[in-house]
Amino acid sequence: MMPPTIELEGLEVQLGGRTILHGLTGVLKSRAIGLLGPNGAGKSTLINTLLGFHKPSKGSARVLGLDASANGKTLRELVGYMPENDSFIAKMSGVRFVRYMAEISGLPPDQAMERAHEAFVYVGLGEARYRPVGTYSLGMKQLAKLAQAIAHGPKVLILDEPTNGMDPPARKRLIELIREIREASDICLLLSSHLLRDVEETCDEVLILRNGKIASICNLVEERRANRKFLELETVGVEATFTAALETLGCECAIFGNGRIKVVMPDSVEIREVFKVAADRGVQIRRMNHRRDSLEDIFLNAMEQTGVADGRI
Amino acid sequence: MAVYKRKYNPYTGPLTATWPRFFVLTRYAFMDLFKSRFFVLLLILAIVPNLFFAGYIFIANNKTVQLLMQIRSAEFLSVETQYFIIIMMVQTNVAFLLNCWVGPVLISGDLTNGALPLFLSRPFSRADYVIGKLAVLGILLSAITWVPCLLLFGLQSGLARNGWIWSHLWMIVPIILCSAIWILMLSLISLAVSAWVKLRIVATGVIFISFFIPAGLGEMFNAIMGTYWGALLNFSYMFRIVVERGLRDPSRLLGLMGRHEIPVPAAWAVMICVCLFSLFILNARLRAREVVRG
Repeated sequence: MMPPTIELEGLEVQLGGRTILHGLTGVLKSRAIGLLGPNGAGKSTLINTLLGFHKPSKGSARVLGLDASANGKTLRELVGYMPENDSFIAKMSGVRFVRYMAEISGLPPDQAMERAHEAFVYVGLGEARYRPVGTYSLGMKQLAKLAQAIAHGPKVLILDEPTNGMDPPARKRLIELIREIREASDICLLLSSHLLRDVEETCDEVLILRNGKIASICNLVEERRANRKFLELETVGVEATFTAALETLGCECAIFGNGRIKVVMPDSVEIREVFKVAADRGVQIRRMNHRRDSLEDIFLNAMEQTGVADGRI
Repeated sequence: MAVYKRKYNPYTGPLTATWPRFFVLTRYAFMDLFKSRFFVLLLILAIVPNLFFAGYIFIANNKTVQLLMQIRSAEFLSVETQYFIIIMMVQTNVAFLLNCWVGPVLISGDLTNGALPLFLSRPFSRADYVIGKLAVLGILLSAITWVPCLLLFGLQSGLARNGWIWSHLWMIVPIILCSAIWILMLSLISLAVSAWVKLRIVATGVIFISFFIPAGLGEMFNAIMGTYWGALLNFSYMFRIVVERGLRDPSRLLGLMGRHEIPVPAAWAVMICVCLFSLFILNARLRAREVVRG
């Protein structure tokens, strides 16, 4: 059985005399994990700890069953890392830079050269591969960083704010690439971002951090499945009888006053049945918003909560 | 892979052994260095004095050439330990100049653009990184210090005959040992300074200063306090003490203490302490992520 992608057991990290991560505990089993949180929540610190750059002051962190502190070198053999900040060797040509990094990861020189070219063409920088990396635009540098992270064929791909500084088409292309990489192999993905859409489009499970604590661990696949039919209604009429009738159909209802009702519908109930119940009870539906519970809702909900025992919602 | 088949493929090929991966850094550094014409010129200039030294040895052992040049005093052309001390001093000074240029080039390029996390997120430690960079300076500075010195020793042995080699064989150890500590000290200082200041030009300047300013302060200390221990801050002088004592008599390599002179063990201790201090700086500065305290 494959070990969980990430296991955290009371992980505490102190840097410069301050506690950055406060006893994180959680198990993330999905192949594509998103790391969300506002600035300063501890996302990059967690990634750096998983890479062995920071030693935990308490607890442990494991990636694919390997302890980040005790088995750091073995773990890093499996990892491809795309850092958030500028990380390149300015005077090297793009393809030489990626080849260099692949060789350090253990690829023989000829294989490293072949993989560097493949990676560069794959990320869409084939035309620019012989130019020095220092002359690349910000978006191109991001793609070069992705190329060096995948050239050696890692089992775990860690992407720290991959779409930073990219224009919308470039961002879309990068997100597509990440999804392709995920689907083309058995690679595990850990993507840190403060952009909810990036995480929503690429990840199956999300770990939300706030002030160095776990605000939420949420399985997006299950959430999407569970909240397929989610209605926000604005009504005029007797709300109580209307919601009682909906509940007999198996719906869950919440009344917020002024005719505002939220309805979670089971798979068996169609929207037309809601209209029929409203007509039967003489309730006017003035506005209907049909949507599923988005990551934004989950994120905002997690940010509003003051504390959750195990962080799972 | 054809361009139209753009698809991510996992790597399933062989991997190289883990321990020699630091040579990747060394190999790439040499490739980059030899692209620079200025470096090639410096290297050639660093090797040129050895040709003069070799010419001198040839003349010293060739009576015909001596007669042609009308040199009559045989003592003037003797090749003994003093001659090898001169070779060592000249070549180690040349090594210092070359080190000032090469050392910062090796590290500053990685640090100014934050490439260190990319190295250290791989199965590659900080020690591997430092060893990889040290190997560059070690090979380069060896090629202009003890290696040519031993070649000249071999040349003299071949030309002198009469058992010269057997009576001077002991010189090989001090030549290698003294060069090794000098090369190690130079390399570590230059890497530590480069890691500290990051900017290449500034690092070159600071390496220069790190040799001359302490020496000047040491002289001031001597003048004010009426002592000679301030010379401990003069690293070149410490090396000179080690070389001169080492090459004068092998039995006195680690023990001799002259009057009003820095003892040889103290000179060795200073150089070892400088190496350790440089390692301390490298340990503090070469980190994947800098942590700001407070």
